[in-house]
Formats: sequence, structure tokens, C-alpha cells
Amino acid sequence: MKRPPPQLLIEVDHDRCVGNGMCLTFAPGVFQHNARRQSEVVDPEGDTLEDILVAAENCPTAAIGVTDAATGEPYEV
Amino acid sequence: MKESPTLTDDLFAPEVIADPYGYFGALREIEPVHWNERFGLWLVTGYEELVWILRHHELFSSAVIRNGAGPPYPPVDPEDLPLFDEIRDFRADQLVEQDRPEHLRQRSVVHGYFTPKAMEKWRPFVRAAVAELLDGIHPRGEMDALTDLAAPLPVRIIAEMMGVPYEDRDHLRALADGILYINRGEPHRLRPLAAAVRGIVDYAAPLVDDRIDRPGPDFISVLAEGETGGVFSRHQVLVNTGLLLFAGHETTMNLICNGLLAFIRHPEQWERLRADPVGRARLATEECLRYDPPVKSTQRIAAEDVELAGRTMGKGDRVRWIMAAANRDPGVFPDPDAFDIGRRPNPHVSFGSGIHYCLGATLARIEGQEVFRGLAERFPRFELAADRVEHQPSLQFRSVKSLPVRWRA
Repeated sequence: MKRPPPQLLIEVDHDRCVGNGMCLTFAPGVFQHNARRQSEVVDPEGDTLEDILVAAENCPTAAIGVTDAATGEPYEV
Repeated sequence: MKESPTLTDDLFAPEVIADPYGYFGALREIEPVHWNERFGLWLVTGYEELVWILRHHELFSSAVIRNGAGPPYPPVDPEDLPLFDEIRDFRADQLVEQDRPEHLRQRSVVHGYFTPKAMEKWRPFVRAAVAELLDGIHPRGEMDALTDLAAPLPVRIIAEMMGVPYEDRDHLRALADGILYINRGEPHRLRPLAAAVRGIVDYAAPLVDDRIDRPGPDFISVLAEGETGGVFSRHQVLVNTGLLLFAGHETTMNLICNGLLAFIRHPEQWERLRADPVGRARLATEECLRYDPPVKSTQRIAAEDVELAGRTMGKGDRVRWIMAAANRDPGVFPDPDAFDIGRRPNPHVSFGSGIHYCLGATLARIEGQEVFRGLAERFPRFELAADRVEHQPSLQFRSVKSLPVRWRA
């Protein structure tokens, strides 16, 4: 049973993002490419926390940061 | 079109091989998307244009070896030409030659093995391998950095990743050395290359059989799982084992040699690194990657007519993009010809961009960081032990032929 994640602050560092697109395959409800083909967060609740963390871990340039918005604690990716 | 009458169209001219930055930099200023009539290909030298191309993979096919390879250049012995077809069949089945959707299916099998988090676990092994090599080299007072350091290090690491027995390492090193002939100019080069290609298939085949029965944590097991899962054919597993052996070898060699040469030519930057090797190795490695990148250029084939920077690349045209030029684009990098190991941000394109972004980028970074750190901790000063440094006659790779250096032991 998939549940929506807690309130998350998901950030993509555009100095690092190279448009590899792996985040779009793991969490397409959250990440989409902008006109420059860099990843943007379109809906922080668009996928499960688990899928979002997998997407972040699979970023080849470690450009994705995920933080619990309520506590400010970063998730380890 | 502005065409400089002084600029040659011979991409293999000695002065272009010796100094690609002067040549492709001049081309970038004249026309960042340029048709080279002599070789029948587009040359993309502007940063924004290059990144745009790499991020529009649907417009540019990566099946370059399969569909776009002309006759070998520089020329080879005519009687060896049948070997060219054999080598092409080997390379055309590798992951780097695939387009979506097949590319994503295949990359998804191997991508997880190379994530930054997974690769970081290899750092202690890399550091130990660097230390062992440097401890052996240091008392000698001189080395050829290419054959004594830059070549053996990546093969050790790849051997470990492949999970091959220790006693096989010399054999693996010989195969890896044979594959390096992809990047060479000798007329007879297809023979050692074809021998290495066959050697890799012969060597890897029983390993794959073994890993299908008894999967382990190694990279061949990852590929074998791709076969079991129906993503890879057996041939694809074998040729991608070869890809790991080549892509992880040549490129890392060039990073180490080109970086070391940059430090020798910029002693003040060497002093900066020596003042804080642990703290500065990361940014310094990025600057080595930008300043004299291991891969100078790569190729695509236009999948349809594409207009860019006022030029129209026709469907089927060969498009070669020059990272070595984009990395020196003054619109992106202030004082681009300066070697500055503190440069930040440093959005170089030495690993490409987009869906084909180098799978081994994190590993290459770790190897570079550990080598430059290890060298800086042990060697106060290097001197070049040759009058000049020559490079292989390759459009794709920026590879020294040798790099003799000495120091006070």
C-alpha cells in the first residue's frame, strides 16, 4: 500500500543537474524536465517517499536534496 | 559564413592534435556549429550548443559505430579491413551505442551499480591501490606516469569490480592494453585491437556462465542479471564487459596524465594543492577534467533535420561535439584558458550531459581525487623528463604517448 510522503522539501541543484533523467524514471510524478532539460520538482507529493529517495540516490551528480519540511532534517540519499 | 582563411580543415593536422584548444577555440569564435567538408561532419564547439544537443537525445542518435562509421582514419593496412567489421560488431552492441527506449532499459540494469553513494564505497580501495603504486614508484626518482601509474591503477580497480581472480590480472591488463589501440594511429592497429576484442569475449564468456549460476556483488553479475532478466543478449553482456574494461581505462589514464602535466606546467597550482591535498583534491580534479579533458570529442548522427545556431544539420549527418572547446567557452568560464584548481562553479562537460552522461563519472572523480591527493602528499615537485609531450592522433581522446617525469627521491 503506497501512501503519500510526509511534507517534503525537494531541491534540485541546477549547477549540478545534467539532465540525465533517471529521477524522471523513478519518480515521474515529482520530477519533470524544464525547457533546458534540467529536472524540476513539479509536485513534491507526486510519488512515495521511497520512490523519491531512490530517484535522489540514482542521480549521477547527486543534485537532488530531500528534507523533511517540518523538522528540517535531511534524508540520507 | 565567416571562414578564417588561416584555419585548416585537417582535424588530424599535427598542430591540431598538439593544441586542440587553439584550433577549436578559434572555430568556436567563428562559428560554434561548423560544417567540416573534408571529413563530412558538423563540429559543435559552443557550450550552449553542445549542451542543447546532448539534452535532445531524440534528435541525435548514438548508434554511431553501427550507422555512421566511415573507413578507419588515420588509414589502416588494407588487408586488415575485414577486422574493422568484426570490431564494429563488437562496439555497436555496447550500451553507449543504444538509443531510447532500448538505452533506458539497458542503462537501468547497470545504473545502480555506479551511483555516487555506491561508488563512494570504493574510495578506500582506490586510496590503497594509489598508495601501493606510489610507494613503489617514489624511491626511483623517475617514472613514465602513463605506464607506471596511470595505466595500472584503473585496471586494478576494474579487475576488482569484475571480481576476477588475482592471478588473472596480468592477462586482463594485456587485454586492456590491446583495447587502447582504438585510440591509435598505427596502420597495423586493427590487429592488436581485434585480438583484444576476441580475447575479452573468450575471457569473459566462462565468467558470465559462472555468474549466472552464482551471482555475486561484482559488475559481471550485474550484467548477467540483465541477461537473466531478458534485457541483455549474451553478446551484449560480453561486449559491455569489454566496455567497462575500455571506458574505465583509457579515460582515467588521460585524466591522470593530463592533470599531472597541467600541474607540472603550473607549479603555483601544484603548490596550492600541496598546501591542502585533502581539502583541495575535489575541485582540483574538476579543473583537471575541464582544462584538458580525457575525451576531447564524441559523435552523434542527426535523427532529423535540426536547426541550431543558424545552421541546419541534415538528417543522417554526422555531428561531432568538442568538449575540449566547450570547456573553454568564455561565455561560461571566466578566464577559460587559466588552470585554476579553485574554480567554482565548474560546469564542465567532460562527462557529457543528458541521458548518456558518463556512467563511470563518480568512479573517475574518485580515482582522480585520490591520485592527485596521493601525489601531492608525497612529491614536492615534478619535472618533465622530456623536451616535449606528444599526443595520440585521435579526434576522440586526449592521450599522451608517454609522460616521463622525475623528482628528487
